[in-house]
Amino acid sequence: MRPNLQITVATLLLAALPWSTPARSEIDMAATKAGAAIIEAGRKVAVVGDCIACHTAAGGKPFAGGLPMETPIGSIYSTNITPDPVTGIGGYTYEEFAAALRRGVAKDGHRLYPAMPYPSYARIDEADMRALYAYFMEGVDAVDQPNRASDIPWPLSIRWPLALWSNIFVTTSGFAPVESRDAQWNRGGYLVEGLGHCGSCHTPRGIAFQERALSSTEGPQFLAGGVIDGWFAKSLRSDSGTGLGDWSEDDIVQFLKTGRTHRTAAFGGMTEVVTHSTQFMQEDDLRAMALYLRSLPPAEVSIQAIKTGDDTFATLRKGDYTRPGSALYAEFCQDCHRADGMGFPRIYPALARNSAVLPDNPASVIRVALAGGRMPVTEANPSAFAMPGFSRLGDAELAGILTFIRNSWGNTASPVEEKEIARLRKAFPILPARP
Amino acid sequence: MIKFTALARASILVFLATAPTAPAAEVKLQDTPIPFSVPKVSDIPRGEKGDAILLGRRLMSETKRLLPDHVGAEMNCSSCHLLAGKVPFGSPFLGTSRAFPQYNPRAGREVTLAERVNGCFLRSMNGTPLPAESREMKAFLAYMEWLSEGLPPGKGKLPIQGTGIGKINTDLVPDPVNGRRIYDRDCVTCHGSNGEGLTDSQGEYVFPPLWGDKSFNLGAGMARTYTAAAFVYRNMPLAHGMNGLLGQGGALTEQEAVDVAEYFSHQPRPDFPAKAKDWPKGGRPKDARE
Repeated sequence: MRPNLQITVATLLLAALPWSTPARSEIDMAATKAGAAIIEAGRKVAVVGDCIACHTAAGGKPFAGGLPMETPIGSIYSTNITPDPVTGIGGYTYEEFAAALRRGVAKDGHRLYPAMPYPSYARIDEADMRALYAYFMEGVDAVDQPNRASDIPWPLSIRWPLALWSNIFVTTSGFAPVESRDAQWNRGGYLVEGLGHCGSCHTPRGIAFQERALSSTEGPQFLAGGVIDGWFAKSLRSDSGTGLGDWSEDDIVQFLKTGRTHRTAAFGGMTEVVTHSTQFMQEDDLRAMALYLRSLPPAEVSIQAIKTGDDTFATLRKGDYTRPGSALYAEFCQDCHRADGMGFPRIYPALARNSAVLPDNPASVIRVALAGGRMPVTEANPSAFAMPGFSRLGDAELAGILTFIRNSWGNTASPVEEKEIARLRKAFPILPARP
Repeated sequence: MIKFTALARASILVFLATAPTAPAAEVKLQDTPIPFSVPKVSDIPRGEKGDAILLGRRLMSETKRLLPDHVGAEMNCSSCHLLAGKVPFGSPFLGTSRAFPQYNPRAGREVTLAERVNGCFLRSMNGTPLPAESREMKAFLAYMEWLSEGLPPGKGKLPIQGTGIGKINTDLVPDPVNGRRIYDRDCVTCHGSNGEGLTDSQGEYVFPPLWGDKSFNLGAGMARTYTAAAFVYRNMPLAHGMNGLLGQGGALTEQEAVDVAEYFSHQPRPDFPAKAKDWPKGGRPKDARE
């Protein structure tokens, strides 16, 4: 071709290019936007599911696993769920991912320990599951970190019995909306029973450590209070005193959003749940959960945890310390929690009619007294208050103070035994406090 | 500008290094500091002596309510002498009764413990003194003596760990503008945006006012920037961490403590005209109020 024609053709071709690339880049951008949208949706679903809390070790990279979890038969370590193709889940197809979450079966067929709350996650719907998959495949940084084997001794460590366990004790069905209830209630149920996996801590477990009930239709054991990691996670049913019976829906939303109400504050496991998960949830999802929880009838029929006619405040003011535990309460607790047990709203939790103080199982109130506790740091309340531990006091002294607290200002609860303090002091070693 | 002699400087440092009610922190190298240890309320003996000790303890925590005619401010002793004087570096009273009578540079003479207590009533409580022979003054003294019962025998300023409020670098230049920023960020939740303090459900002050007519007056130690700074540095905020008896301190740098102390101590508060007679023999600290 003559050079002039070559140049002309080349120029025409070059000139033609800008006409074609906008269409192609628009498609690319649309696909990227759709991709970005589903990844962001998945990120939000992962926040509700609080995957990060278990799948991240202290000081470790997000989702790379390695967090130890105590079980009665030894420690297990959470796995790497970053998209690393060798040490993480990068090789999982969507179906394999969904099987792990819904049925507790890994890619290679081995069974997951129910520390992974797959009986709850079985309720995750298709849209949320797709979004989660997109997030974990494309929204999370891959980390090369091999999984750590559990400390469970052989033969207890063999996995196939878990398949039997799953078949006998667990129903892994999707969320079944209740037709007589409205959309908001069902949304709350979907979140509480599924992604929220509240029952993992708050539902009592049976002889094989299975949750005794997984939904509102499976009886009054659902969310009736459970033991986890040495804490007692209280009832979330409408029990007065020990459950949520004295809480309004607003209180529940406040609690999940900010980690505190006027009367109480999150501690123990709930501090992490609020910090990493519920404080970031949409307000209408929190309202739906609150509505659902307040609809659950009490687990126990009329346990009278609140009584009238108490004169603790007057006796403390008079300096009358004849009641056991009262002198030590006045010395170590009263400056913050006050003589009327009302504390100060959103700074010092009340002890009067505080549903964390009242459950029959005193594990939580003992552990807070021994080791202290810290409120969640949330965007709404960056000033998180903390309580020091009182492990410097003896078993008998603490038992006296806690029995006093549990039976003052209208509170009624079982006495706390010295040996219970001793047991928890030993089971959960406490770092010595500075004097 | 007052020029300081070396002696005056030394005595200021010694004075600043101690809380007004605690022995001086002049630890000689060959003295092993005595560990901080106080008895519990449940250890108070029965009988008349025990009644006085217990009353003294209650007066420390509930001063305003129990002595309304002597306390003008909304303050209790335990507002500054944390947990009735039982917290290390929280202006504790361990060893106090042994160290009195002692020479007090601010008074320019020797003072008894009762006079020192009344100094607090006049200044920090913005109130009126207790008669020396009153039941209440005897209760205060009995309580403070009881606190020190476990110490080795001896009078004077014993070297005890954790007395006073600790030292602060008095060469740090206060920045009250930064102090206000820190106050608004860290102190408002408890002490109020106008320094007014906060009351509990019974109407009693949980967190005392830091300025205004219900707060301590210009004669108080807390009205001095470096005294306030040392206290704040080691003891504020409460419920911040999980150590100590109140979760206190560990939030600010020394400079930040100096800044915020300058800010709140210099907000308006009642005057104390008799302060003009303080430090009659000289050695007036640079942060004493005019």
